[in-house]
Amino acid sequence: MTITHPSTDILILGSGASGAAVAWRLSKSGFNVVCLEQGRWIKPEEFPNEHADWEIQARTNWAFDPNVRALDVDYPLNVDESPIDPLMFNAVGGSTIHWTAHTPRFHPSDFRVKTLDGVADDWPLSYDELEPYYDAYDALMGCSGINGDPANPRRKERPMPPIPIGQDGERMARAFDRLGWHWWPSDSYVNSVPYRGRQACNNCGNTGLGCSRGAKGQTDVAIWPEAIANGVELRTESRVFRVETDAEGKATGASYYDADGEENFQPANAVVLAMNGIGSPRIMLNSTSGAYPNGLCNSSGLLGKNLMFHPYAMVSGLFDDGLQTYKGPLANMILCQEFYETNPSKDFVRGYTYQLARSSGPISTACGYMFGRVPWGADHHAEFKRRFGDVTVLGVIGEDLPEEHNRIELDPKLTDSNGIPSPKVFYTLSDNSRRQLDDAVENAETALREAGAAHVLATRLLKAAGWHLMGTARMGDDPTTSVVDRWGQTHDADNIFVVDGSVFVTCAAVNPTPTIGALALRTADYIDRERADLKS
Amino acid sequence: MNLTDGEFLLLASVMDIIVPPVDELPGAGEMGLAKEAEELAARIPAYGEALHRILEALSLEPSVRVEGGFPALDEEQRMSAIEFLEANMPKYFDKFVDLIYIVYYSDERVHERIGWRSGPLQPLGWELPAWDPAILDKVSKREPFWRKV
Repeated sequence: MTITHPSTDILILGSGASGAAVAWRLSKSGFNVVCLEQGRWIKPEEFPNEHADWEIQARTNWAFDPNVRALDVDYPLNVDESPIDPLMFNAVGGSTIHWTAHTPRFHPSDFRVKTLDGVADDWPLSYDELEPYYDAYDALMGCSGINGDPANPRRKERPMPPIPIGQDGERMARAFDRLGWHWWPSDSYVNSVPYRGRQACNNCGNTGLGCSRGAKGQTDVAIWPEAIANGVELRTESRVFRVETDAEGKATGASYYDADGEENFQPANAVVLAMNGIGSPRIMLNSTSGAYPNGLCNSSGLLGKNLMFHPYAMVSGLFDDGLQTYKGPLANMILCQEFYETNPSKDFVRGYTYQLARSSGPISTACGYMFGRVPWGADHHAEFKRRFGDVTVLGVIGEDLPEEHNRIELDPKLTDSNGIPSPKVFYTLSDNSRRQLDDAVENAETALREAGAAHVLATRLLKAAGWHLMGTARMGDDPTTSVVDRWGQTHDADNIFVVDGSVFVTCAAVNPTPTIGALALRTADYIDRERADLKS
Repeated sequence: MNLTDGEFLLLASVMDIIVPPVDELPGAGEMGLAKEAEELAARIPAYGEALHRILEALSLEPSVRVEGGFPALDEEQRMSAIEFLEANMPKYFDKFVDLIYIVYYSDERVHERIGWRSGPLQPLGWELPAWDPAILDKVSKREPFWRKV
């Protein structure tokens, strides 16, 4: 027996970076909003950083990879055909719970790669159009940083000063200075001072495990309290399996399983999908109907295709000056965008960002996330001593280009604990991305040596690195080559919107969340401004 | 997973090879950490499978099928038996070593030796030197070079 709820104006699926932003914005304008989240609230005392076994939890029940966590709330992914594992988290706050909150913006050129470099496609909007929404999202989540970066357009003052970059950050910054390369303190959604009722960061280190102080910009603490106070109903442990539509293809609501496994139906005037670049196309592909035999709003045939990750290389420098590089936020120090743009003398197009990162605790050192595993046996202790607290990492974020064969499909056998089909990921690293990463590794070795690294080790393609999930319901003006329009509204139904990384046309060479948040706020603004018909 | 007495002794013996004694600390097995390894393996299926496979393979490996088994071998023989597993069962061996490292580097005696503060990261956090804008002196003088559209 299906439980049917009273209808709402806007039904949002997912409570992470984009869903929370839409809920907050529309709740301020008098829309009735319900948000369905498959996960639950995480209490501050549950975060691993509050526990002595935090490093064990990071590798088990709090791992980035849902296939490793394997919790009931997660859905498994078939990654047999992908060299990169998608990473995500399922709870109120979505993947902002475990992100490191490094928040650079796209460059103006990122919206025009077809025009400038003849590859991929231009976005149907510009940096200038998105800029006010970047500012708004920065203010909402809380951005620490400083203006004046010569690699980026001048922007509004950040709400908070930069977080300290530490001696290890300074060491790398001076090396970049000597090489004549760009660097700048990273924008981060980490509080350098108390902000909007949340504490300042105390540099505990592992931003990737959730922040019990509320110092990191997670939507569970940065957005949801205000959205709920505005009247939004956030319904947790509610796992959506289908967006329902009428004979004309318009959304009528969504069906989901509650915590008891009961089937529920939430009617709505409009549905907003915000479940990340794999979660949203998964549910859309599962929402077949007479109107949509190939998946929800898939007349273009592009739903689930053009999957982009940021292929990551990791180049680690081993120093011998005992700086205790585990002290401080994990990856919120400085970035380098010297090689961000296409260089005609190179054998690849587009470019990459370096994101400086720290090391971590003893288990991570021994098991080798940053610098390969410490050998067992007679040399173990000497080698551990050499590495512990002495590793600094240049992470390479390369711009992936959209390719239709990189995609997700519904796996014919694998399901989650409710029997909903799981995604199967098909991804091949392109030659362009391979050459880009190789160039980045070479330059990173130069920089780390300049900084004084005694030994450098490169991981040329990190497997556990699918943090950024993008492109699977791309945005565009042409309904035959895109799934959503410039406002995130699907071409096929004017009351179905997509607001997460799925809508990215290209992925730039930066972490995507500020852009996801800005696009979500822009879609919400559009709904408020142009779609009064959706309000009861 | 519950280890038999024989498996438990075998595990402790292997742990002493993987993480040998150092300074005042004995090897990981002699420190009594096989119990922790067994418990973690019981909790996390991937570690449980690795532990089971490695111990099983080690007990069947021809070179250790002598009276007293693996613990009775000399150090060189024990090393080569483990290296054989590393070469031939890399997937399980990697997880097995991770398991041993995890329990070893969770131990407060080890933390004390390596100078690591035991316990949760919060609420203490770490001190960092305050942000000093003087570090920007050189780079901030650079002309804007972002690509115009």
